[in-house]
Amino acid sequence: MKTIEELKAFYDSTLKNDLISLEDERKKIVNKVVLLNILCGLGIGLCAVLFFIFSFFVLIVGIPVIILWIILYSKITKGYVSSFKDKVIYRIIKFIDDNLNYKPNNCISMQTYMSSKIFRRNPDRYTGDDLVYGKLGKTDLVFSEIHSEYKTQSRSSNGTTQTHWHTIFKGLFFIATFNKKFKGETYVLPDVAQKMFGNLLGNLFQSWNKGRGELIKMEDPDFEKVFVVYGNDQIEARYILSTSLMKRILDYKNKTNKQIFLSFLQNQIFVAISYTKNLFEPRLFKTLLDFNMIREYYEDLLTAVSIVDELNLNTRIWG
Amino acid sequence: MYIIIAIIGIPVFFLLMFFIIMYNTLVGKKNQVQNVYGSIDALLKKRYDLIPNLVSTVKTYMKHEREVLTQITELRAKAVSGSLSEQEKMQLDSKMGKLLGGIMVAVENYPDLKANQNFLHLQSTLNEVEEQISAARRAYNAAVTDYNNSVEMFPTNIVAGMIGYKRKAVFEIDESERKNINVNKLFNE
Repeated sequence: MKTIEELKAFYDSTLKNDLISLEDERKKIVNKVVLLNILCGLGIGLCAVLFFIFSFFVLIVGIPVIILWIILYSKITKGYVSSFKDKVIYRIIKFIDDNLNYKPNNCISMQTYMSSKIFRRNPDRYTGDDLVYGKLGKTDLVFSEIHSEYKTQSRSSNGTTQTHWHTIFKGLFFIATFNKKFKGETYVLPDVAQKMFGNLLGNLFQSWNKGRGELIKMEDPDFEKVFVVYGNDQIEARYILSTSLMKRILDYKNKTNKQIFLSFLQNQIFVAISYTKNLFEPRLFKTLLDFNMIREYYEDLLTAVSIVDELNLNTRIWG
Repeated sequence: MYIIIAIIGIPVFFLLMFFIIMYNTLVGKKNQVQNVYGSIDALLKKRYDLIPNLVSTVKTYMKHEREVLTQITELRAKAVSGSLSEQEKMQLDSKMGKLLGGIMVAVENYPDLKANQNFLHLQSTLNEVEEQISAARRAYNAAVTDYNNSVEMFPTNIVAGMIGYKRKAVFEIDESERKNINVNKLFNE
C-alpha cells in the first residue's frame, strides 16, 4: 500500500493541475446555482404572497417552480459530477492500483447483493454507483456504493397514505474470491444481541436467529464480543475463520471503526461496510484545492481495497 | 384425596420434567462431542490417504530423508490397521504431523521437487487437510468445553453426577508442534 506522503506527491505533481481547471468549473456552477436559488426563491416568495389572494394558485405555480429547480439543478451540476469522477476519483483509483477499473454509474447488481444473504429483506428501492473492479495479485475483487431500502405505508388520520423509506444497508459492498474452497455458508455479523442484553440473554437471542444455520461459538473471546457467527457446518466455519483470520477481521473492524457484515458463500467473501455519508461525490460548496479532501476520498477507497491485504486473501496455499 | 394427589403429584411432575430436560441436554452435548470427534477421524483418514502418493512423488527427489519417509510409511500402516485406542491414535497423529512438517520444510532444499506439478498439488491438498484438521480440533475443543461446562455447572451437574458423566479432555498442542506451525508460517508469508 502507498503512503500518505506518496499520495501528497502524486497530488502535487499530477492531480493539482487538473483540479485547478475543475475548480474554475466548480466556481461557475456555484454562481449558476446561487442565481437559480435566488430566482426560485423569488418565485416561491411570489407564491406565498399570492397565497393570500387565492390559495389554489400556489399549487399551480409553486409545484412547477420546485420541479423546475430540481431539473435545472441536476442539469447544471451533472457535467461537473461526471468530470469530477473522471478526473479525481478515477485518478485516485489508478493511483492505488493500476489493475483496478472504474465505472462511476454502475453498481453491484441487486441479485448479487441478495445472493450474499447478508441482508435478507427484499429491498423496495435499490440504488448505487461507483463500481470498482479488478484483480489484485491472485484475488478478483469488485465493490461499489449501494443503498437498499424498504418502505412502509401508514394511513394518517385524514385518510391519506404516507410512504416511509427505511434504510436496510447504505455503504460499501465488497466481493472477492476467497483463498480457501468451501461448500457451505458462514456468516459473521455484528453482535447486537450480546452487546445489548449481556452474555446470558444475548446468547439466547442469538440462538433464535434461525435460517442462517446454527450459532457457532468461536474460541477468540475478543472476536466473540464484537461478532456473532452462524453457519451450516461448524467445522467448515472454523476452517474459513482460522484464528489468524479472526484476528485480522477484528483488527480491520477496529481500524475502520465501521459496522461490518461478512458472509462466505460459493468460494467468495462478501463484506458490507456501513457508511452514513454519500461516498465519492463532489462537494459543490467546498474548494477542490484541498489535499485533506483528496485524502478522504483516498482513504474511503482504500477501506475497500485494503480488505485484500488486511484479510490476507492473496495467500493461496490451500488446495 | 385429589388435593393430596395434587400436592404430591405436581412437584413430582415438575421434578421429572426438570430431570428429563437436563438429561437430554447432557446427552445432546455428549453426542456433539462424539460427532465432532468423528469428523476429526474422517479428516485424519483423508490425510493418511494422501501419504502413499506423497511418499512416492517425493522419494525420487529426496536423498537425505529416506529414513523419515520410511517412518511415515510405517506410521501410516499402523494408523490404518484399525486396532488402536483413542489415545494411541492421537499420539500417532501428532507424530505424523511432525514428520510431515519436517518433510515440507526439507522440500526447500530440492528446487526440482518444488517445480513438480504433482507435488505442488499434493502440497496444497495437504495444507488444506491440515487446516481442516486444525479447524476440526478447534470445533472439538469448543464442543468439549460446552460439555464440560454442563457437567460442572449447576443445575446440570446434579444430573451429570447421577448418570456418571465426567469431564473430557481438550486437545492440547504440544510445544514441538507449535514450533512446526511457526516454520510453516514463515514459508507461507
